[in-house]
Amino acid sequence: MARKASPARLVIALSVAALLAIFLVYTAIAGGGRPVLQPGKLKGHREKVSLGGKVVGPVRSSAKSGYRFRIRDVNGTATIPVVYRDTPPPQFKVGREISVDGRVRNGVFVGDRGTLVTKCPSKYSSKPS
Amino acid sequence: MPELGRAALVLCLGLSLYAAAAGAFAARTRRRRLAASAANALYASFGAAVIASLVLAAALLRHDFTFSYVAGHTSRELPVAYTLSAFWGGQEGSLLLWLLILTAYAAAACALNRRRAPDLVLWVVPVLGGVASFFSFLLVVVASPFGTQPPPLDGSGLNPALQNPYMLAHPPMLYLGYVGLTVPFAFAMGALLSRRADERWIVATRRWTLGAWAFLGVGQLLGAHWAYVEVGWGGYYAWDPVENAALMPWLAATAFLHSVMVQEKKGMLKVWNVLLVILAFGLSLFGTFLTRSGILSSIHSFTEGSIGPWFVGFIAVVTAFSLALVFVRLPLLRARTKLESPISREATFLYNNLLLVALCLTILWGVIFPILSEAVRGEASAVRGPYYNFFLRSFGLPLLLLMGIGPLIAWRRSSLRALRRTFAWPAATAVATGVILLATGAGSSLLGVVAYSFSAFVLASIVVEFALGASARSSLAGESWPVALASLVARNRRRYGGYVVHAAVVLLAVGIAGSSIYDTVREKTLRPGQTLQVGRYAVTYRNSVERRAANAQEFRALVDVRRGGQLIGRMQPGRNWYPAEQQASSEMAIRRDWTRAEDLDLIVQRFNSSDGSIELKALVKPLVNLIWLSGLLFIGGALIALWPDAREQRRLAARYADSSVAAPA
Repeated sequence: MARKASPARLVIALSVAALLAIFLVYTAIAGGGRPVLQPGKLKGHREKVSLGGKVVGPVRSSAKSGYRFRIRDVNGTATIPVVYRDTPPPQFKVGREISVDGRVRNGVFVGDRGTLVTKCPSKYSSKPS
Repeated sequence: MPELGRAALVLCLGLSLYAAAAGAFAARTRRRRLAASAANALYASFGAAVIASLVLAAALLRHDFTFSYVAGHTSRELPVAYTLSAFWGGQEGSLLLWLLILTAYAAAACALNRRRAPDLVLWVVPVLGGVASFFSFLLVVVASPFGTQPPPLDGSGLNPALQNPYMLAHPPMLYLGYVGLTVPFAFAMGALLSRRADERWIVATRRWTLGAWAFLGVGQLLGAHWAYVEVGWGGYYAWDPVENAALMPWLAATAFLHSVMVQEKKGMLKVWNVLLVILAFGLSLFGTFLTRSGILSSIHSFTEGSIGPWFVGFIAVVTAFSLALVFVRLPLLRARTKLESPISREATFLYNNLLLVALCLTILWGVIFPILSEAVRGEASAVRGPYYNFFLRSFGLPLLLLMGIGPLIAWRRSSLRALRRTFAWPAATAVATGVILLATGAGSSLLGVVAYSFSAFVLASIVVEFALGASARSSLAGESWPVALASLVARNRRRYGGYVVHAAVVLLAVGIAGSSIYDTVREKTLRPGQTLQVGRYAVTYRNSVERRAANAQEFRALVDVRRGGQLIGRMQPGRNWYPAEQQASSEMAIRRDWTRAEDLDLIVQRFNSSDGSIELKALVKPLVNLIWLSGLLFIGGALIALWPDAREQRRLAARYADSSVAAPA
């Protein structure tokens, strides 16, 4: 007599298949993420990226041109000028580690509005930030 | 003093190692006296951890800056509560808290079960001893909180953003949750090692899992509330790796709490349950590792200490050992019965589990995506909010629906006729809710309508369950309705506590949907006297004031709020400047309207001193308060389910006795 297949196996198989299908649809539609880079690795990237690093002064701001400053590699010396036409969060200051989305235009990184985040203070940092 | 702390940690390491090695040897060779000695070592390790913790706590309270840790995380002006919270404010202290809770849990779990499940505890002791050895080792060798230095005049202080009451409770709650998952893991391993793969390990750890899961849930809600009121961006969850680190084990534990019921009732899903408990424990270790390794880019600052490789090694060893053990013991984990119908209570639990695990794994994929993409392509890529939101909707909405369907379906199989009868009220309520929402103009978001209709379905099914149960009790026992309801809950705490938790999850879902789908955000530069319209509110900027607080300079904008032309209050959003820390903080003003369950949030993004104007951001967050309210309901439901039940204890004791007799030698 043929062994009756368990519905549990069928359910699991169908679920896994559905999961994979959803995943494939998502990655096909939305792509596989945004590059996370520091200034030293920006060369050659024209697409939208997430730029991280430390704020280097002076920070200049005006209502017309927004905030202008430089971002430096966290553990390096490479820097890039940044323009951000929005109000950064209150923790934003020179020396603070930040992340901002945007793209390089004419040698200047132009940040998208509302994407600049400063790192939260950590509960676990060995020294207060 | 630091010498005493160091000695206590070395003693704790020695005792834990002994508990692991001697315990394993005793369990293998069935030497009862040696096993008792190993268990005693585990209890004593808790004592050693208490001494080490008291030394650190005393040093913090005495502002003993000869301790590098105390100097690095406190200052003389810091209030006592925050000074004490610095215990877990730094890496070394937080690891000590891990060890303290772990050894406390280990001692309690072994003491409580040594008579109920002695053959399991025999192997649980070495497993818990092994985990405690790892954390003791880290504290002795890699990250000691008892390092010393010449004392500075004052300490570095605590970041102002962390000086918030929610931050006093949020980390310890998460720790109680993370560490609590060690207990079911240890019992699962103990069951496999002792070849007792029946339901005993599940029954022995049910409340431990429930407690750990509840602590993790409450801890996350406290963290979300802190982010909402303190960080000042108008949100409460950002899908950051650190936040996801707590969510993933909670999801795995949620799946486990449901699937164990299937094993207890039907003897199915044995392998699945062991795998789930390994996943939950592994993810709790992974979360602890994430916050300490600096391996991922996060909006949270990480320390980039030397602790990461040790954690990777430990996680690898734990995973390899436990999976190998499951593989070796597979013949013992065969199910007693099979799934009879895809329309049955156990089947809905299975669907629920698959969705929860799928959500958990897709979040894990998103978290580790930068690491994997860097390994494969040489360049890190990160997925953002849209990725997580997509999967939250894809898996979350069916999960919400299943939460209402599950309790209405019978075990084994359900007939269509029975389904029609039990589903009538909840389905009608869901349809009515959807129609009302569309008729009242809330159909701008189809997703919102679906989420609310599903929520109504679940709430109606919970009400039906309570009403039918109380009605049956009332007519059988002749009790009044309130008495019948109370005794119904008292006699079935796990089941009805679970329903209360389901109601909390519905409130959470409604709150998240309302505050994220139907929120209104407006930004404008306002001069004194100018007004910004946001939703039903008109906010008028009057002027700004500057005042001196204890440790900060406060800048506040005075804003009048009108609704329907009527003045309903004045709000004072602003910014603080902390000169000692050279740091600013946003002080969001929140106007809470409990009758509408909505918040009006005002954030001053900038004070322009040149013309006296402010850049104001205003948000209306409908139903956001349901999120916090759900936390209270969640705690209530968890407490009902956790509350000891003498009748259940007697029933389980009888089952233990039976299974001891039936068990192979």
